[in-house]
Amino acid sequence: MTMESPRGDGEKRPSSEGDELDSKLGSVPPLRPVDRFGLKSSPTSPASASTKGRVQSEREREEGRLRKWRKMIGVGGADWKHYVRRNPQVVKRRIRKGVPDCLRGLVWQLTSGSRDLLLMNQGVYEQLVLYETSAAELDIIRDISRTFPSHVFFQQRHGPGQRALYNILKAYSVYDRDVGYVQGMGFLAGLLLLYMSEEDAFWLLVALLKGAVHAPMEGLYLVGLPLVQQYLFQFERLVKELVPKVGAHFEEEMINPSMYASQWFITVFSYSFPFSLALRIWDVFLYEVLFHSLLPT
Amino acid sequence: MGSMGMGSQTATVSPLAKYKLVFLGDQSVGKTSIITRFMYDKFDNTYQATIGIDFLSKTMYLEDRTVRLQLWDTAGQERFRSLIPSYIRDSSVAVVVYDVSNRQSFLNTARWVEEVRTERGSDVIIMLVGNKTDLVDKRQVSIEEGDAKAKDFGVMFIETSSKAGFNIKALFRKIAAALPGMEALSSHKDKDDLVDVNLKPTQNSQAEGKAGGCAC
Repeated sequence: MTMESPRGDGEKRPSSEGDELDSKLGSVPPLRPVDRFGLKSSPTSPASASTKGRVQSEREREEGRLRKWRKMIGVGGADWKHYVRRNPQVVKRRIRKGVPDCLRGLVWQLTSGSRDLLLMNQGVYEQLVLYETSAAELDIIRDISRTFPSHVFFQQRHGPGQRALYNILKAYSVYDRDVGYVQGMGFLAGLLLLYMSEEDAFWLLVALLKGAVHAPMEGLYLVGLPLVQQYLFQFERLVKELVPKVGAHFEEEMINPSMYASQWFITVFSYSFPFSLALRIWDVFLYEVLFHSLLPT
Repeated sequence: MGSMGMGSQTATVSPLAKYKLVFLGDQSVGKTSIITRFMYDKFDNTYQATIGIDFLSKTMYLEDRTVRLQLWDTAGQERFRSLIPSYIRDSSVAVVVYDVSNRQSFLNTARWVEEVRTERGSDVIIMLVGNKTDLVDKRQVSIEEGDAKAKDFGVMFIETSSKAGFNIKALFRKIAAALPGMEALSSHKDKDDLVDVNLKPTQNSQAEGKAGGCAC
């Protein structure tokens, strides 16, 4: 049922318990096994009985890393800027190894510069969500149930995940009327929502698209998708340069990057990659791509 | 269509004919679900919204020949239209989908058809598809309206439900029957007027469409 979003079926209405069809098709069987990221887990489980010892040592290593990370960023991120200025290469190395999952949300906010935006704009998000209306509301509603449908947080019709997603996208479409709402943004917002509050996620989206510490990326969604076109062009050149055989083969078969890579860029890799990989890309992307202006090369 | 008498041997021996189909239509009308039903004969209630372009391909075995279909699934939102023209240009078939329970998506098919005509002129097969016929109570566009609109555009027409699996095979059979492959097979015989040949099955199929779904 989620495929066809009913028009005129007020999305903001609280979840309809009486609607049998809704509860049957919209929500999920409660005890579905999920992986550590909250996605429906596939039968292939990495932890087999023989790896118990390894799991133990991995946990110890993870705890060690976590201690280092906590020291590096300080309480609430207080020491972050200082540390980055003094040891950018250490930070880079640690980020390449992956930000610890429990600190990921905070670190992303620090590297994207969204923390500062939030502090400078107290109350703005609430205003956007509660009092503004957007021309894109219908479009947004149509896509809500089609954003990470296999993630537990977003599965429940009108559940907290879907509501937060709707709020962020509506707020953004009001905040930046030139860009409005474009399909694909939902996957960015969805990814962010798994690691931070609604308001934090909104400001990170703003930081990303309007450019807090870096060149804005709104060109991913502006009319004509100029930044997507630019990335596709650069990507094609890079393929030819770095993997010339692949590049030549693609050219011979008349495969160009827009056929497979437009969705990578439009969703900043959050759409079609394994979730754990997407997270690592975001770790690196937010620090090295967005934060790079602050780094010595 | 005259080369049909040549029998199946000719077709199977000749290299696999490839055709590109581009799927167009508004957001959430069911383009991806039609493709998924055709490819894997399954239906999910939740598909991720298509972002940009998706590509799938399938070999279709017909009575007299085998064809390779390349399916280009597109994002429905207006903003992505800048990505789409090159796919239309490369495709010999455009499948324009609307949702029978969403009148606006039906009205917008005019823009999609126009877009296709702009890129390809009349050298293209266009199929208008009214999807989601399973939503009986929510229907906003009748089959007669759909049929009339298709006649108006001069394109083929069919109603489908990918959820119920209704008419999906018929849709692709109709397309296959109209493919310019018949001339391709007999191209050494010097068929010159492609456009004419393309258009004929179009009109025939419209009549069939009106009669309701074929058995599939």
